[in-house]
Amino acid sequence: MIKDFKYLRASSVKEALGFLSQHKEESKIICGGQSLLILLRQGLVATEYLIDIKQVNELSYIDFDAKKGLRMGATTTHRTIEKSDLIKKKYKVLSDMERYLAHIQVRNWGTIGGNLAHADPAGDPAPVLMALSGSIKVGSAKGERTISLDDFYTDLFETALEEGEMILEVQVPALAPKTGAAYKKFNILESDQGIISVAACVTLNGGSTCKEARICLGNAAPTVIRAKQAEAKLKGQKLDEGLLEEVGLAAVAECDPVADIHASEDFRRHLVGIFTKRMVKQAWEAAKKA
Amino acid sequence: MKYNIINTHTHNIDGVAKVTGRATYTVDVTLPGMLYGRILRSPHPHAKIINVDASKALALSGVKGVVTGKDTLGVKQGIWRRYSELCDEQILPLEKVRYIGEPVAAVAAISEEIAEAALDLIEVEYEVLPAVYDAMEAIKKEAPLVHEGVERNINVTRHIEWGDLEEAFEQSEYIREDWFKCSGQAHMCMETRSAVASYTPEGKLTVWTSTQSPYYMQALLAGVLGMKESDVRVIAHYVGGGFGGKFELDGAQFCASVLSMKLFRPVKIVFTREEDFIASKRRTPMYYYVRTGVKKDGTFMAREARVFTEGGAYTSMGATALYLTGFFHSFPYKWQAYRYDGYRVYTNTLPSTSMRGFGAPQAQFCSETQIDIIAKELGIDRFEIRRMNGHTTNYEVPGQATIASCGLEQCINKIEEWVKSRGKLPANRGIGISCYGFMSGGIFNWFDTPYSFSSAVVTINCDGKVDLHVGCQEIGQGSNTTMAMICAEELGVRVEDIRVHSGDTAECPPDLGAWGSRQTLMAGNATKMAAADAKRQLLEFATAKMGPNIVYDLDIKDRWIHLVARPERGIDYFELVKEALRGKEGQRIMGRGYYTPHRKGMISPAYSYGVQALEIDVDPETGKISLLNCVTAHDCGQPVNPLGVHGQLEGAISMAAGYGFLEDLPMEDGKILNPNLVDYKLIRAPEMPETEVIEIETYEPEGPFGAKEAGEGLTNPTAAALSTALYEALGITVKQLPITPEKVLNALREKAKEA
Amino acid sequence: MERHLLRITVNGQEHELYINPKTLLVEVIRDHLGLTGTKRGCETVSCGACTMIVEGMSVKGCSVLAMQVDGLKVTTVEGLEDHGKLHPIQKAFIDHGSYQCGFCTSGMLMSSKALLDENPKATIKEIREGLDGNLCRCTGYNSIVRAVDAVCKGQYREDEA
Repeated sequence: MIKDFKYLRASSVKEALGFLSQHKEESKIICGGQSLLILLRQGLVATEYLIDIKQVNELSYIDFDAKKGLRMGATTTHRTIEKSDLIKKKYKVLSDMERYLAHIQVRNWGTIGGNLAHADPAGDPAPVLMALSGSIKVGSAKGERTISLDDFYTDLFETALEEGEMILEVQVPALAPKTGAAYKKFNILESDQGIISVAACVTLNGGSTCKEARICLGNAAPTVIRAKQAEAKLKGQKLDEGLLEEVGLAAVAECDPVADIHASEDFRRHLVGIFTKRMVKQAWEAAKKA
Repeated sequence: MKYNIINTHTHNIDGVAKVTGRATYTVDVTLPGMLYGRILRSPHPHAKIINVDASKALALSGVKGVVTGKDTLGVKQGIWRRYSELCDEQILPLEKVRYIGEPVAAVAAISEEIAEAALDLIEVEYEVLPAVYDAMEAIKKEAPLVHEGVERNINVTRHIEWGDLEEAFEQSEYIREDWFKCSGQAHMCMETRSAVASYTPEGKLTVWTSTQSPYYMQALLAGVLGMKESDVRVIAHYVGGGFGGKFELDGAQFCASVLSMKLFRPVKIVFTREEDFIASKRRTPMYYYVRTGVKKDGTFMAREARVFTEGGAYTSMGATALYLTGFFHSFPYKWQAYRYDGYRVYTNTLPSTSMRGFGAPQAQFCSETQIDIIAKELGIDRFEIRRMNGHTTNYEVPGQATIASCGLEQCINKIEEWVKSRGKLPANRGIGISCYGFMSGGIFNWFDTPYSFSSAVVTINCDGKVDLHVGCQEIGQGSNTTMAMICAEELGVRVEDIRVHSGDTAECPPDLGAWGSRQTLMAGNATKMAAADAKRQLLEFATAKMGPNIVYDLDIKDRWIHLVARPERGIDYFELVKEALRGKEGQRIMGRGYYTPHRKGMISPAYSYGVQALEIDVDPETGKISLLNCVTAHDCGQPVNPLGVHGQLEGAISMAAGYGFLEDLPMEDGKILNPNLVDYKLIRAPEMPETEVIEIETYEPEGPFGAKEAGEGLTNPTAAALSTALYEALGITVKQLPITPEKVLNALREKAKEA
Repeated sequence: MERHLLRITVNGQEHELYINPKTLLVEVIRDHLGLTGTKRGCETVSCGACTMIVEGMSVKGCSVLAMQVDGLKVTTVEGLEDHGKLHPIQKAFIDHGSYQCGFCTSGMLMSSKALLDENPKATIKEIREGLDGNLCRCTGYNSIVRAVDAVCKGQYREDEA
């Protein structure tokens, strides 16, 4: 049963930040609630004040311009992102990822901000956004700051958000020419969270060597992580089967997965290797065509 | 055989209620003054209950009462009433708890929230005892005893034997032995266990509950509460799934009744999904040892099987599962000699019981997996080896059963045809096959009922509409519709002329209920007999009225009473009914029917057969299996309700495939690790393969219009077909269910090492 | 605990309720308004038995705070039928035997309706994906897919009797 709380509905960002600054650690933000409500019902989380920002429409938007790139408001639903023609055109890896995130009912009500704030290492958006060099704009009554996805996750289910702060916007830079991205999670049921997941983003020089690569691993460590050694192997190189093997092995060495009833540690490592190879190859192919 | 109604596309008669939200399930029942109950459960797998202090809970405002075993008669109950040593379960135990999740106390309050808060305030003092979790550990001399006096924790043993086993092995030219481990499975009914019990000052108890057998619940409740059966009324109008898990007395029914008897107010208990996982019983996990001897030409000679089942804390329906797994492990083949020894072992885990297939899915998985390996090693075609050894009509399973109708060979032929039509498959793809045979209800009366196994009453009203009272239980399988179809066909009217009454022990005759796939045959026979009785009475009047030549017969078809030889000569059914009633002093025409199998062998009056092919794709780098196609040829005699049969097939595939590669209840120290729908994986719409069903019609003399079961047998082959598909695709075998990606990869690594 | 005012339109009817703000949407529907057609089958937002439609979107009523639906329109299974006239998807379910025990059926119907409203010419793959959030233990899903497909193919045009 959910423990009683005092309910505060915010109709603007200003109001929400005001509530947060007033009630501090005694308050929690709810938007779609697709993650938070389960925690509240199980008694894993309790709060004195619940600040409802579901109807803060000023945070529901998808904007793009060639210079600044993509900006998505925190209360934008997963389904909106999934169905956005703009996203399908410019950042297809994002809409593809959203398509297999949980179920339609969850995507209809759950939001990108809420998902990222929940900080589940098995969550789908974080590795993809990290691979795309994304950042998160957060705000408090005192002002705003931007945190790179690389620095946003500090520990299992923990973020760099400070007291009084909430996520306002997700930013993804405009993709350089000859950039391709790919994401896949390993699961048996297609909407399940990944036993592990890998997101890769590759930018090519001209068409044959790697200018830059980012490889992000989901559910293979307490937080989503960058497989930096694996990335380094690709820099400046031409892609061949031998290099792919090395990249896969490097990612395996960098990950730190746990064992649970769904998979052993070894199996997770094995899958990280397989999926790193597959996603790097896919991203590379997409970059060539871009 | 063509009928007016039998085997025609007929809408389920509960359809409108179910698609418009009108159907009320137990959880939807609300009564004046109703309280909400919750159950306090043991956190220990094995412990003495020293003391239960509910004083703080009772002091909480809104709490009306708390009960423990001390508030009960302490009756040890079980469904095997004929064998008192197997009635070993006090649902609210008095002395000790034997599994994590076992009820210890129950509280009733004016709201669910208060009842839940009260649970935290009940203080239980336990003396923790050493526990044992694995069947093979529990049979050791030094293992703690789950039940006093039950040596080596061996709860039940079963033995089936025919032929000279040693001789048959001597004559075998190829012998193989394998060990398998079959997992448990959760029934995972969409509606969790639930009950609303109302005890009133006249000493009568009414229980609305989700059950497969209102009669069993009525009798069992009467037994544990010290009441007369007829003072207990059980109502189950709509049941959200059963699958074998809802015909034993459960904690919701018992605790709600005990609370209501104490408080004289209705009490509703609805299990949370978590409770449903940890405290409602599961499919029986089994250790299987199989040794098989065949001739070089593929003739099946000898089979020896030894099985240890993880029984959990109480007998439940596990004794039957133990017997049936051994019986169906021989199916559907003729063995010169066969020997099965089964041991059910008590452990401090969730009791294991019946679940759709009743031990046969486990049996088939082991048998068919081994048969495919044998066929390959002998260089014999896998269809041919099955065809040459398969059951045939009139075969007698020595000392066990006579097969009166068998379409197995036709099923094998049809599936062989389909597999061949698929041609050469791409890499990493395989089609596995599995045969099966299953019972259409059991002949056993371990419940010790004096009643016919099934009964029915047909009443014809003056407007010609018919009230059909049956005791068989609708749980979604469509039995209401099937009975209406049988009644309508026999009586000669239409399905819409029939109103079916079921799910209420006060209004309907007793029936053993929906399990062992018995209702189409047994309740169907009772319904047919009742309809025939009513028809005979109507035809008496028709004959008198029409005055035909003595050599002519009359019959009724589609509301038209006519001479069989001259169908154009007749009377309208509705017209005749009005006159017939007057002739009976205004009494409605009533026909009675009943059925109990007599002298039908050791298991069942009839057996269904089938062969299933499952096409899968395997990712050899990750071990992930995808289901592509599933084709089943099956013989259920005369299909009665084809929409129902098709639905049963597809549902069975999703459940049985789930058993094969997805569903599991892993435990640690007796605790189920995945009691929720995030971690317990079930097939959803995208994972379901395309399905096709091929009906092989035979005629079963024991069944109504020649019908046999269709619904449980269909659950038997799929895990086996998945296993043999893997063998076809990658040449590997995984002998431990479920076949997870990790196990596939390990098997591939083993194979690579051996190469 | 302070009660909050919730104004909610359900199946075309406006309601005003004072509720504890922690009340879930499915609790308002089932327990406060007595619309028991919608069911509950789990505690982890997994089974979809509680699926209903809010402002045209399918949602799981067990994971929506009722207060968030303040001022919005909700449709439940009871809202599909129009004075005894069944909705095409309901007729299709009956024709195809797309239910057995019926417990998941309300959720399946609402997911199907939301899917059809958004994508009236859905492919089989899209239908399967559209039903991914709804568990069924009885039917094996294919009969439900066939029913939705039949509606997509125009077999139940609403102007037909």
